Amino acid sequence: MRNFFVNQYLFFIAAMACASNGVVADSHLQVIPASVRLDRPEGMQQLLVMKGGTATGLDVSRRCKFETTEPQIVEVDGHGRVIPKRDGNASIVVHCDDEVVHVPVVVVGLGAPAPVSFRREVLPILTKSGCSSGGCHGKAEGQNGFRLSIFGFDAVADHNALVKEARGRRVSTAAPKQSLLLKKATGMTPHGGGAKIELASPWYRRIERWIAEGTQLDDEASQGVVAIEVYPERVQMAPNGEQQLLVTAIGSDGTRRCVTVEAEFDSNAKEIANADRDGKIRVSNNPGEAAILVRYLGHVGICRVTIPQDLATFQRPEENNFIDRAVWNKLEQLGIQPSQVSDDATFLRRVYLDTIGSLPAPDEVRRFMADLSPDKRARVIDELLKRPEYADFWAMKWADILRVDKAIVKPQGAVAMTRWLRDQFHDNTPYDQFARKIVTAEGNTLAEGPASFYEVHKDPEMLGRSVSQIFLGVRIECAQCHHHPFERWGQADYYAFAGFFTGVQRNKAASGGRKIYSRGGVNLKHPQTGVELLPVGLGAKEVTLDGVEDRRDVLSQWMTSPENPFFARMIVNRIWSHYFGRGLVEPIDDLRATNPATNEPLLEALADHLIAKRYDLKAFTRSVLNTNAYQLESVPNFSNEMDSQNFSHAAWKPMPAEVLLDAICQATGVPEQFNGWPEGYRAIQIWDNRMPSYFFRVFGRPQRVSVCECERGNEPSIAQALHLMNSPESVRKIRHRDGLAARLAASESSSAQIIEEIYLATLCRQPTSAEQALMQQAFQEPGVTRREASEDILWTLLNTREFVYNH
Amino acid sequence: MFKVNFNEHQCCDGVSRRQALRVGATGLLGGISLPHVLQLEASAAGVTPPKAKACIFIMLEGGPSHIDMWDLKPNAPLEIRGPFRPISTKVPGTQIGNILPHCSKITDKFTIMRSHSHRDNAHQTGRHWVLTGYPPSFSDGQAKGMPFNELYPSLGSIVSRELGQGGAVPPYVEMPNPLGPGGPGFSGAQHAPFTIETDPVQPDFQVRDLNLPADIGDRRFQLRRKLLAGAERLGTQERQTGRAKTMSSYYEKALELVTSPAAKKAFRIQDESDKIRERYGLTSIGQCALLGRRLVEAGCRFVGIDHGSWDTHVDNFTSHEKALVPPTDQAFSALINDLDDRGMLDETLVVMMGEMGRTPKINADAGRDHWSQCQTVIFAGGGVKRGAVIGASDRTASFPTTTPYGIQDLLRTIFHLMGIDADKTYHTPLGRPVPIVNGGAVIQELLA
Repeated sequence: MRNFFVNQYLFFIAAMACASNGVVADSHLQVIPASVRLDRPEGMQQLLVMKGGTATGLDVSRRCKFETTEPQIVEVDGHGRVIPKRDGNASIVVHCDDEVVHVPVVVVGLGAPAPVSFRREVLPILTKSGCSSGGCHGKAEGQNGFRLSIFGFDAVADHNALVKEARGRRVSTAAPKQSLLLKKATGMTPHGGGAKIELASPWYRRIERWIAEGTQLDDEASQGVVAIEVYPERVQMAPNGEQQLLVTAIGSDGTRRCVTVEAEFDSNAKEIANADRDGKIRVSNNPGEAAILVRYLGHVGICRVTIPQDLATFQRPEENNFIDRAVWNKLEQLGIQPSQVSDDATFLRRVYLDTIGSLPAPDEVRRFMADLSPDKRARVIDELLKRPEYADFWAMKWADILRVDKAIVKPQGAVAMTRWLRDQFHDNTPYDQFARKIVTAEGNTLAEGPASFYEVHKDPEMLGRSVSQIFLGVRIECAQCHHHPFERWGQADYYAFAGFFTGVQRNKAASGGRKIYSRGGVNLKHPQTGVELLPVGLGAKEVTLDGVEDRRDVLSQWMTSPENPFFARMIVNRIWSHYFGRGLVEPIDDLRATNPATNEPLLEALADHLIAKRYDLKAFTRSVLNTNAYQLESVPNFSNEMDSQNFSHAAWKPMPAEVLLDAICQATGVPEQFNGWPEGYRAIQIWDNRMPSYFFRVFGRPQRVSVCECERGNEPSIAQALHLMNSPESVRKIRHRDGLAARLAASESSSAQIIEEIYLATLCRQPTSAEQALMQQAFQEPGVTRREASEDILWTLLNTREFVYNH
Repeated sequence: MFKVNFNEHQCCDGVSRRQALRVGATGLLGGISLPHVLQLEASAAGVTPPKAKACIFIMLEGGPSHIDMWDLKPNAPLEIRGPFRPISTKVPGTQIGNILPHCSKITDKFTIMRSHSHRDNAHQTGRHWVLTGYPPSFSDGQAKGMPFNELYPSLGSIVSRELGQGGAVPPYVEMPNPLGPGGPGFSGAQHAPFTIETDPVQPDFQVRDLNLPADIGDRRFQLRRKLLAGAERLGTQERQTGRAKTMSSYYEKALELVTSPAAKKAFRIQDESDKIRERYGLTSIGQCALLGRRLVEAGCRFVGIDHGSWDTHVDNFTSHEKALVPPTDQAFSALINDLDDRGMLDETLVVMMGEMGRTPKINADAGRDHWSQCQTVIFAGGGVKRGAVIGASDRTASFPTTTPYGIQDLLRTIFHLMGIDADKTYHTPLGRPVPIVNGGAVIQELLA
C-alpha cells in the first residue's frame, strides 16, 4: 500500500522537469497515475489524460473513452474516475484519438478493509458537502441545534456532536441506515439544507460503514494527513480550455490517497479561471493568470494557471527601469501587447489626481504642454511630491486605514492624528519608522501623535487583527475562531500575535483624553487547549521577552526588519494599487501563498527596491511614476483589451469622493463651504469623517469602521449621476456669479476661447476641432445667452465620464 | 400630557431623527445602482417561484401597541385592557380595536399574526434586529452614523441585491426618512436605498435631484443632452473597452434612468387625483403609502416606509386614538383596497409592524412601555392568506400561547414569498460567510 504511487510519482517529476525546460515531453497520450491501487470499498481514483506534455497542459480527458477490462472488479465513469467492486486485477483502457493506453488496477482488501477514519474520511465529506460551512451547521451557534466546527477543524467536538449529543440520536450503530445523520444528509427526512449526499453513493457507504464499525474516533497521531499534493501545480492552458486536477493526500504513515472529490476548490481570479466541485478547471478567453486554491482537511495547495494568447510579435516598449522590465516580461509571456505611452495632457491629469488628489490648473496644463524639454515628466513628478497636497492626500488615505473616527477618538483626537499623519508624509518619514511609531505609540490620545490608534483599537485581539492586516497584509482575523481557511494560520498564531498588546494601558489623563503606554503584559491562552502562548510574529521564531519593558518593541522590530516576509510587500502593493487602480495582489491586504501576485517577480523587486531605498516612500513613488508602465494610455489595443490584471493599459479609476468634490470645485472655480469650517478648506483636508454631507454619502466616503480600503465604494450609482446632473449644489457651482462660466462669459474671450478654457478646467486638455465644432452649437442656440451657453458647456463636461474618472 | 411631535419622531432616547440628521449623521443613503454586472452565482436550492414581485414594508417606529390595536383583551383587568374595546369586523369572529374602523371593514383582505416575539427590547437595537435579522454590535442609543447597520445588509438591500432593478425606478426606496438600519451593510453602496428625504404630503413635494432646475427649459436640456452625447462620443467613449466599458455603460444606464420619463412620473404623486390622495389621507403615512404603490407599479422592489412616533410611554391612549392610529388605519386600508382594485395585491406583499409591542400593564403616566416579547404583525397580499388570524397570545397579551414566530421566521417568509433563496450565503469583504437569514423557518400557516 505504501508504494503504490511511486511509479506514478516518478512520472510526475519527469513530466514536470520537461515542462520547466519548455520541452514538449511526448506527443503521446499519458495517463496519470500510470497504475492504480485501491484498498477500500468507497475508494476512488481520478485519472488524468494528458497529451503533448504538461507544459502546454492539454487535458484530453474530454475526448477520451474509458473502459474496464473486468467490470466485476473495477468500474470507470466517463470522467475517468475509477471505482473498485471486488478484489482482483484489471486494467482501465483509455482510448483517445486512435491511441490506447492501459492502466493496471489492483483492488485488494475490500473484504476486510481497515476501519474508516473519522478524521480523514468522514470529516472531509461533511466539509465538502457544506454541512460544516459557515452558512450552516458550522456557524458559531450551529443550525437547528446541530453544531459542527467550521471546516471540520475540531474533530473531537464534531465527533462528540455526531455521536453523543442529542442523546445519541444522530447515529444508530444497530441500524446504520436509520441514522438521522444519513437520513438528513440524503433528504429522506426533511432537511433544511436539502439532500447533500446521494443514497448508496461511496460517501454514503463510507459513513454507513463508519457507523456500523462503532463510530470510532481515530487517534490523531496515527491517521493525520501531513500534506496534500496538487497535480499539476502549474499549467498553461488554451483559452476556453479545461483541466482536471488531481489531489492526493499524504498520510503521516506515508500512504497516498486520491482525495480529488473530497477536496474543495476556489479561484483567486474567477474571471480568468475557475474550478468546479470535482476539481475541473475551466478558463475563460481572457489572457492572464489565476491560482486555483485547493483545500483539504486544513491543508492548502494551489495550481497556477496561465492562459497566454497568440501574439504574432511582441514589440517591447522602452524600459525606464526595472519595473518596466518586469511588466514587459510578464506581458510578453502572456502574449499581451501594452498600449502606447499616453500623451502629455493625459499624463498630467492622471499624475496630479493620483499624487496630490487635485486637477492641474489650466495654466499648469499650458505650461507643461509648452515645455519641450525631455525630462519634463520627471520634473513634474518631483514637484508634485513636494507639494503640501501630497501630504494632505496621503494623510487622508491613512486616516481611513487607521480608522481616525471622530466619534471614537473625539474631535481633538481626530485633529491630532490627522495633523501627525500629514507631518509624516510632509517630512517623508521612512515607512518602517512610520509603522514603528504607530505600533509603539505612547502618550496622550488628544496630543499630536499616533496614540489614538490605541483609542480606536481597544483590546489586544483587535490590535493584533488590525496591525496584521494593515502592515502585514495577513487577515489573521479568520483564525480567531478557526483555522484560517486558505492559510496555515491557526488559533495559536492568532493569540500569540495578539499577546504583543496585552501590556497596553489606557489611563485617563487629567488634561482629558487617555495616556497610552505599554508595560509588561500577559501571555494569552489558546482558547481550546488552554496552553499559554508566548507572543510571536506570524510564522516567526519565539523570542525571549526577558528584560523587555514594552512587548510592542519586539513586534515592531520583527515587523520592520528587512527579512520580514510581509511588511515591505504589503506597502508596495498598497502603493502600486493606488497608482495603477489594482494591486499586484488583490484584495490588496490579503497576502498569502494561496493568493499569489499576478507578477510575482515584480512584487519581489518592488519590495527589494523599497528596502534598498530605506523605506523612503517618495523615492519609491518616484521610481513607480517614472515608468512607462505607469504612463501608458488607458486606450487598449486589440491584444490587451481583455487584460485587467497585468497593467497593459492604464485603468479607469473612480475618484475618491473627496477628490471628486475638490475637482468639481476647482473646475467650476467655486469652493465648497463645509458646514462649520472656514472657507478655503479642500475636501481632502477635512478630518471630520462624520461631517454630514450628501455628496460624501452618495459618493461613498468611508465611515472608517474598518481598516480595509475596500470600505470605499467604487460602484457608480444612480444617486451619483442624479446629484451631478441636477442637484442644487451642482447648479449653484455651475452658475455662480464668480464661477468659471460667469467669468468667461464676462470676459473678452471668443466663444472658441471659452470652450478651450472649459476643456482645460475640466478635462485638462485642449478640445479637438470636432469638439470645438460641437460646443459651438451652445453659442448658436437661439435665445441662449453667452453666459448660459458657457454654463451648458461646463455642465456637459462635468457630466462626462472623462471628467468623473481618473484615467 | 399629550406629547407627540409628528415632525420630530421623538423617541425615548431623546434624540429625534431629524436632530440626528442635523447633528452628525453621515451616509443616510448611498446610491442605488443597476444590478451588478457580475452577479454572484445564485444557488438554486430552496427557491420557489416568487409570489410577490415587490414588498411595501411599513415600519411603525417606536413600537405600536398591539393590545390596543389588534389583540385586545377585554376580559383582562382594567390596568391592562385599557379604554378601547374590540369590534367585529368583515370576517366573522375576527375582532380588532375600535380605533381601527377602516381596517375592520377589510379584514378579509389581510392577515393578522398575533404571535411575533423577540428579545430585543430597545429601539435602535430592536430595529437593527428586525430589519437585518442579526443582533447589532452596538448597545441601544450608541449607534453611530446613519444608516446604522454597518455590517449586516438590511432586508431592503438584500431584496435589491437579489432581484435587482425591476423598472425605471431604483429597486429599493425609503421614505420619507431613512429607516435607520436600512442600509446596505457590507453589500456596498450599490445596494443602498434611495431615500426620498422629503415628505410626499408636502404640497411642493419633489424628490431630491430628480428634477431639472426650474429655469432650464426643455429646449435647453435637450441641447445639454445632445452636447453630452457628442462630448462622450468625441471624447473617450470610443476608446473605452474592457472594464472601463463595463463601468461606463453602467454609468450611462444610470444617466438614462435620470432622464427617463417613467421614473419621474412614478415619483410625481401630484398626478394622482385629489380623491385618491384624500382616500389615503393627507398625512405622511398616507401619501407615503400612495407613493409606494406608484413606485411598485413602476417596478420598485422594496419600499420602506418609516412612520413614527409610536413610543408612547406617556399617554398611550390619547396618542393612539387621536394621533397615531387614524392616519395609519386610513392609509393601510386605502393601500390594500387600492392594490386589490388594481389587481396588484396578489403580487405585492405588504407588511406592517414595529420593532416591538407595548407592555400590557399600563404605567403611572397612562403610557405603555417597551414589550418585544409579544407583538402583532400585519401581512397582506403577495402570497399571504387573506382574512386569517394566526397565532394567539395569553390573557394579557404578554406572551404568545402558540408557536412564537421570531424575526428570522418573518424574514425567511418574506424572502420565500419574493422568490429569494434565504439559504444563500454572502461573504463579508474579509471573506466571512453570512447567511441571508440565520436560521428560522417559513411560516407555513401564513401562506395562501
